[in-house]
Amino acid sequence: MQNAETDINQWVNDYTEELLRRASYKINNHEDAKDIVQETFLAAAKSLDKFQGKSSPKTWLFSILNNKIIDYYRKNSKKPKTSDIDTVSFFFDNDGGWNAPQKPNNWEIQDNEQHLLDNYEVIEVLNYCIENLPEKFNTVIKSKYYTKKKTEEICQELGISATNIWQIMHRAKLRLRGCIEQNWFVKVNK
Amino acid sequence: MKKLMNILLLSCLKATELMEKKLHIEISFKEKIQLKMHTTMCGACKKYEQQNILLDKLLKNKNSNKLNIKIEEFKSEIKSKINK
Repeated sequence: MQNAETDINQWVNDYTEELLRRASYKINNHEDAKDIVQETFLAAAKSLDKFQGKSSPKTWLFSILNNKIIDYYRKNSKKPKTSDIDTVSFFFDNDGGWNAPQKPNNWEIQDNEQHLLDNYEVIEVLNYCIENLPEKFNTVIKSKYYTKKKTEEICQELGISATNIWQIMHRAKLRLRGCIEQNWFVKVNK
Repeated sequence: MKKLMNILLLSCLKATELMEKKLHIEISFKEKIQLKMHTTMCGACKKYEQQNILLDKLLKNKNSNKLNIKIEEFKSEIKSKINK
Protein backbone atom coordinates (compact mmCIF):
# COMPACT_ATOMS: atom_id res chain seq x y z
CA MET A 1 0.00 0.00 0.00
CA GLN A 2 2.88 2.26 0.81
CA ASN A 3 3.98 1.86 -2.75
CA ALA A 4 0.63 2.73 -4.24
CA GLU A 5 0.51 5.85 -2.14
CA THR A 6 3.90 6.90 -3.38
CA ASP A 7 2.75 6.31 -6.93
CA ILE A 8 -0.26 8.51 -6.71
CA ASN A 9 1.68 11.29 -5.00
CA GLN A 10 4.13 11.14 -7.85
CA TRP A 11 1.28 11.40 -10.36
CA VAL A 12 -0.05 14.48 -8.59
CA ASN A 13 3.41 16.01 -9.02
CA ASP A 14 3.67 15.01 -12.66
CA TYR A 15 0.20 15.50 -14.10
CA THR A 16 -1.68 18.17 -12.12
CA GLU A 17 -0.74 20.96 -14.48
CA GLU A 18 -1.69 19.12 -17.65
CA LEU A 19 -4.96 17.90 -16.18
CA LEU A 20 -5.80 21.39 -14.97
CA ARG A 21 -5.05 22.84 -18.37
CA ARG A 22 -7.37 20.36 -20.05
CA ALA A 23 -10.12 20.89 -17.46
CA SER A 24 -9.81 24.68 -17.74
CA TYR A 25 -10.12 24.43 -21.46
CA LYS A 26 -13.31 22.41 -21.25
CA ILE A 27 -14.97 24.15 -18.33
CA ASN A 28 -15.78 27.79 -18.18
CA ASN A 29 -15.19 28.23 -14.48
CA HIS A 30 -11.81 28.07 -12.82
CA GLU A 31 -12.91 26.81 -9.40
CA ASP A 32 -14.96 24.03 -10.95
CA ALA A 33 -12.00 23.03 -13.13
CA LYS A 34 -9.81 22.75 -10.03
CA ASP A 35 -12.44 20.72 -8.20
CA ILE A 36 -12.65 18.30 -11.09
CA VAL A 37 -8.88 17.77 -11.15
CA GLN A 38 -8.97 17.09 -7.43
CA GLU A 39 -11.87 14.65 -7.83
CA THR A 40 -9.95 12.90 -10.59
CA PHE A 41 -7.04 12.16 -8.27
CA LEU A 42 -9.34 11.11 -5.44
CA ALA A 43 -11.16 8.71 -7.76
CA ALA A 44 -7.84 7.38 -9.01
CA ALA A 45 -6.63 6.80 -5.45
CA LYS A 46 -9.81 4.88 -4.63
CA SER A 47 -9.70 2.58 -7.61
CA LEU A 48 -5.96 2.19 -7.80
CA ASP A 49 -6.35 -1.60 -7.78
CA LYS A 50 -8.21 -1.36 -11.09
CA PHE A 51 -5.26 0.29 -12.71
CA GLN A 52 -3.14 -2.58 -13.92
CA GLY A 53 -0.59 -0.71 -15.88
CA LYS A 54 -2.17 -1.66 -19.21
CA SER A 55 -2.12 1.98 -20.19
CA SER A 56 0.15 4.74 -18.98
CA PRO A 57 -0.94 6.48 -15.75
CA LYS A 58 -1.37 9.66 -17.78
CA THR A 59 -3.83 8.05 -20.18
CA TRP A 60 -5.70 6.52 -17.27
CA LEU A 61 -5.94 9.83 -15.40
CA PHE A 62 -7.11 11.66 -18.50
CA SER A 63 -9.84 9.09 -19.09
CA ILE A 64 -11.07 9.62 -15.51
CA LEU A 65 -10.90 13.37 -16.03
CA ASN A 66 -12.91 13.16 -19.25
CA ASN A 67 -15.64 11.20 -17.50
CA LYS A 68 -15.74 13.79 -14.73
CA ILE A 69 -16.09 16.54 -17.30
CA ILE A 70 -18.99 14.74 -18.98
CA ASP A 71 -20.63 14.26 -15.57
CA TYR A 72 -20.13 17.94 -14.83
CA TYR A 73 -22.00 19.01 -17.91
CA ARG A 74 -24.71 16.43 -17.31
CA LYS A 75 -25.18 17.64 -13.75
CA ASN A 76 -25.13 21.29 -14.57
CA SER A 77 -26.92 20.76 -17.87
CA LYS A 78 -24.76 23.48 -19.25
CA LYS A 79 -23.66 23.39 -22.81
CA PRO A 80 -19.94 23.21 -23.50
CA LYS A 81 -18.67 26.70 -24.13
CA THR A 82 -18.78 28.01 -27.64
CA SER A 83 -15.71 30.04 -28.24
CA ASP A 84 -16.43 31.17 -31.76
CA ILE A 85 -19.38 33.49 -31.20
CA ASP A 86 -18.71 36.82 -32.79
CA THR A 87 -16.96 38.90 -30.18
CA VAL A 88 -18.18 42.30 -31.29
CA SER A 89 -21.87 41.38 -31.47
CA PHE A 90 -21.58 39.68 -28.10
CA PHE A 91 -20.35 42.85 -26.42
CA PHE A 92 -21.95 45.63 -28.49
CA ASP A 93 -25.29 46.36 -30.15
CA ASN A 94 -25.71 47.49 -33.75
CA ASP A 95 -24.98 51.13 -32.89
CA GLY A 96 -21.75 50.20 -31.11
CA GLY A 97 -23.18 50.69 -27.61
CA TRP A 98 -22.53 48.18 -24.80
CA ASN A 99 -24.96 45.28 -24.51
CA ALA A 100 -26.35 45.71 -21.00
CA PRO A 101 -25.09 42.41 -19.47
CA GLN A 102 -21.57 43.01 -20.78
CA LYS A 103 -21.18 46.56 -19.48
CA PRO A 104 -18.06 46.86 -17.34
CA ASN A 105 -18.76 46.85 -13.62
CA ASN A 106 -16.83 48.78 -11.03
CA TRP A 107 -13.63 46.98 -10.01
CA GLU A 108 -12.69 49.58 -7.40
CA ILE A 109 -9.19 49.78 -8.77
CA GLN A 110 -8.24 53.18 -7.32
CA ASP A 111 -7.03 52.15 -3.86
CA ASN A 112 -6.49 48.56 -4.77
CA GLU A 113 -4.17 48.53 -7.74
CA GLN A 114 -0.99 47.23 -6.13
CA HIS A 115 -2.94 44.66 -4.20
CA LEU A 116 -4.53 43.41 -7.42
CA LEU A 117 -1.21 43.30 -9.28
CA ASP A 118 0.39 41.22 -6.52
CA ASN A 119 -2.51 38.88 -5.96
CA TYR A 120 -1.79 35.24 -6.86
CA GLU A 121 -5.41 34.47 -7.41
CA VAL A 122 -5.86 37.32 -9.87
CA ILE A 123 -2.85 36.04 -11.80
CA GLU A 124 -4.28 32.56 -11.73
CA VAL A 125 -7.61 33.80 -13.08
CA LEU A 126 -5.76 35.80 -15.74
CA ASN A 127 -3.90 32.68 -16.88
CA TYR A 128 -7.07 30.69 -16.97
CA CYS A 129 -8.75 33.40 -19.04
CA ILE A 130 -5.83 33.60 -21.49
CA GLU A 131 -5.98 29.82 -22.02
CA ASN A 132 -9.69 30.12 -22.66
CA LEU A 133 -9.33 32.63 -25.49
CA PRO A 134 -9.98 31.46 -29.04
CA GLU A 135 -6.71 30.47 -30.63
CA LYS A 136 -6.04 33.60 -32.69
CA PHE A 137 -6.59 35.88 -29.68
CA ASN A 138 -4.50 33.65 -27.46
CA THR A 139 -1.62 33.81 -29.94
CA VAL A 140 -1.80 37.59 -30.31
CA ILE A 141 -1.76 38.16 -26.55
CA LYS A 142 1.08 35.73 -25.94
CA SER A 143 3.19 37.04 -28.81
CA LYS A 144 2.71 40.62 -27.71
CA TYR A 145 3.17 40.28 -23.97
CA TYR A 146 5.20 37.15 -23.33
CA THR A 147 7.51 36.66 -26.24
CA LYS A 148 7.53 40.45 -26.72
CA LYS A 149 7.61 40.19 -30.46
CA LYS A 150 7.53 43.31 -32.59
CA THR A 151 4.19 44.26 -34.07
CA GLU A 152 5.42 43.70 -37.64
CA GLU A 153 6.60 40.24 -36.73
CA ILE A 154 3.25 39.26 -35.19
CA CYS A 155 1.39 40.59 -38.23
CA GLN A 156 3.61 38.63 -40.54
CA GLU A 157 3.27 35.37 -38.63
CA LEU A 158 -0.49 35.59 -38.37
CA GLY A 159 -0.96 37.02 -41.83
CA ILE A 160 -2.80 40.11 -40.63
CA SER A 161 -2.42 43.80 -41.46
CA ALA A 162 -1.06 46.45 -39.10
CA THR A 163 -4.51 48.06 -38.73
CA ASN A 164 -6.09 44.72 -38.09
CA ILE A 165 -3.82 43.80 -35.22
CA TRP A 166 -5.23 46.52 -32.94
CA GLN A 167 -8.69 45.24 -33.69
CA ILE A 168 -7.72 41.67 -32.85
CA MET A 169 -5.94 42.86 -29.71
CA HIS A 170 -9.06 44.86 -28.78
CA ARG A 171 -11.33 41.82 -29.24
CA ALA A 172 -8.93 39.72 -27.18
CA LYS A 173 -8.91 42.31 -24.37
CA LEU A 174 -12.71 42.58 -24.42
CA ARG A 175 -12.89 38.84 -23.79
CA LEU A 176 -10.13 38.84 -21.20
CA ARG A 177 -11.71 41.69 -19.30
CA GLY A 178 -15.11 40.01 -19.37
CA CYS A 179 -13.67 36.69 -18.25
CA ILE A 180 -11.74 38.25 -15.36
CA GLU A 181 -14.77 40.18 -14.22
CA GLN A 182 -16.86 37.03 -14.25
CA ASN A 183 -14.31 34.81 -12.53
CA TRP A 184 -12.80 37.21 -10.08
CA PHE A 185 -14.61 40.44 -9.36
CA VAL A 186 -18.15 39.11 -9.42
CA LYS A 187 -17.19 36.27 -7.12
CA VAL A 188 -15.24 38.40 -4.67
CA ASN A 189 -18.01 40.96 -4.34
CA LYS A 190 -20.77 38.42 -3.82
CA MET B 1 -29.69 61.55 -30.93
CA LYS B 2 -27.67 58.41 -30.34
CA LYS B 3 -26.47 58.45 -33.94
CA LEU B 4 -25.37 62.09 -33.70
CA MET B 5 -23.53 61.35 -30.45
CA ASN B 6 -21.76 58.48 -32.12
CA ILE B 7 -20.42 60.73 -34.86
CA LEU B 8 -19.28 63.44 -32.49
CA LEU B 9 -18.17 61.32 -29.59
CA LEU B 10 -17.49 57.87 -31.04
CA SER B 11 -19.49 54.74 -30.27
CA CYS B 12 -18.45 52.63 -27.29
CA LEU B 13 -17.06 50.09 -29.74
CA LYS B 14 -14.89 52.70 -31.48
CA ALA B 15 -13.89 54.31 -28.20
CA THR B 16 -12.68 51.05 -26.70
CA GLU B 17 -10.81 50.21 -29.91
CA LEU B 18 -9.06 53.53 -29.72
CA MET B 19 -8.10 52.87 -26.09
CA GLU B 20 -6.37 49.69 -27.19
CA LYS B 21 -4.52 51.51 -29.95
CA LYS B 22 -3.49 54.22 -27.51
CA LEU B 23 -1.83 51.64 -25.25
CA HIS B 24 0.49 50.61 -28.04
CA ILE B 25 1.01 53.58 -30.35
CA GLU B 26 0.56 57.34 -30.44
CA ILE B 27 -2.98 58.38 -31.44
CA SER B 28 -3.82 61.67 -33.17
CA PHE B 29 -4.86 64.86 -31.37
CA LYS B 30 -8.37 64.58 -32.78
CA GLU B 31 -8.63 61.01 -31.55
CA LYS B 32 -7.43 62.03 -28.10
CA ILE B 33 -10.13 64.71 -27.85
CA GLN B 34 -12.83 62.35 -29.09
CA LEU B 35 -11.78 59.74 -26.57
CA LYS B 36 -11.64 62.23 -23.71
CA MET B 37 -15.13 63.52 -24.55
CA HIS B 38 -16.48 60.02 -24.79
CA THR B 39 -15.13 58.82 -21.44
CA THR B 40 -16.33 62.01 -19.74
CA MET B 41 -19.86 61.15 -20.74
CA CYS B 42 -19.81 57.35 -20.67
CA GLY B 43 -19.30 55.67 -17.28
CA ALA B 44 -19.01 52.15 -18.73
CA CYS B 45 -16.18 53.13 -21.07
CA LYS B 46 -14.46 55.10 -18.32
CA LYS B 47 -14.39 51.90 -16.27
CA TYR B 48 -13.26 49.92 -19.29
CA GLU B 49 -10.36 52.29 -19.79
CA GLN B 50 -9.13 51.93 -16.19
CA GLN B 51 -9.55 48.17 -16.30
CA ASN B 52 -7.83 47.88 -19.65
CA ILE B 53 -4.81 49.72 -18.26
CA LEU B 54 -4.78 47.40 -15.23
CA LEU B 55 -5.01 44.41 -17.55
CA ASP B 56 -2.06 45.73 -19.56
CA LYS B 57 -0.01 46.06 -16.35
CA LEU B 58 -1.05 42.57 -15.22
CA LEU B 59 0.02 41.10 -18.54
CA LYS B 60 3.36 42.90 -18.47
CA ASN B 61 3.89 42.07 -14.83
CA LYS B 62 2.86 38.48 -14.84
CA ASN B 63 5.28 36.64 -12.69
CA SER B 64 5.30 32.97 -13.58
CA ASN B 65 7.13 32.08 -10.35
CA LYS B 66 4.14 33.21 -8.40
CA LEU B 67 1.95 30.91 -10.43
CA ASN B 68 4.25 27.98 -9.78
CA ILE B 69 3.94 28.49 -6.05
CA LYS B 70 0.20 28.42 -6.51
CA ILE B 71 0.34 25.15 -8.45
CA GLU B 72 2.56 23.61 -5.78
CA GLU B 73 0.00 24.63 -3.15
CA PHE B 74 -2.73 23.00 -5.16
CA LYS B 75 -0.70 19.79 -5.47
CA SER B 76 -0.17 19.61 -1.69
CA GLU B 77 -3.85 20.21 -1.16
CA ILE B 78 -4.73 17.24 -3.37
CA LYS B 79 -2.12 15.04 -1.72
CA SER B 80 -3.38 15.80 1.78
CA LYS B 81 -6.92 14.87 0.71
CA ILE B 82 -5.78 11.59 -0.86
CA ASN B 83 -3.65 10.56 2.08
CA LYS B 84 -6.31 11.21 4.67
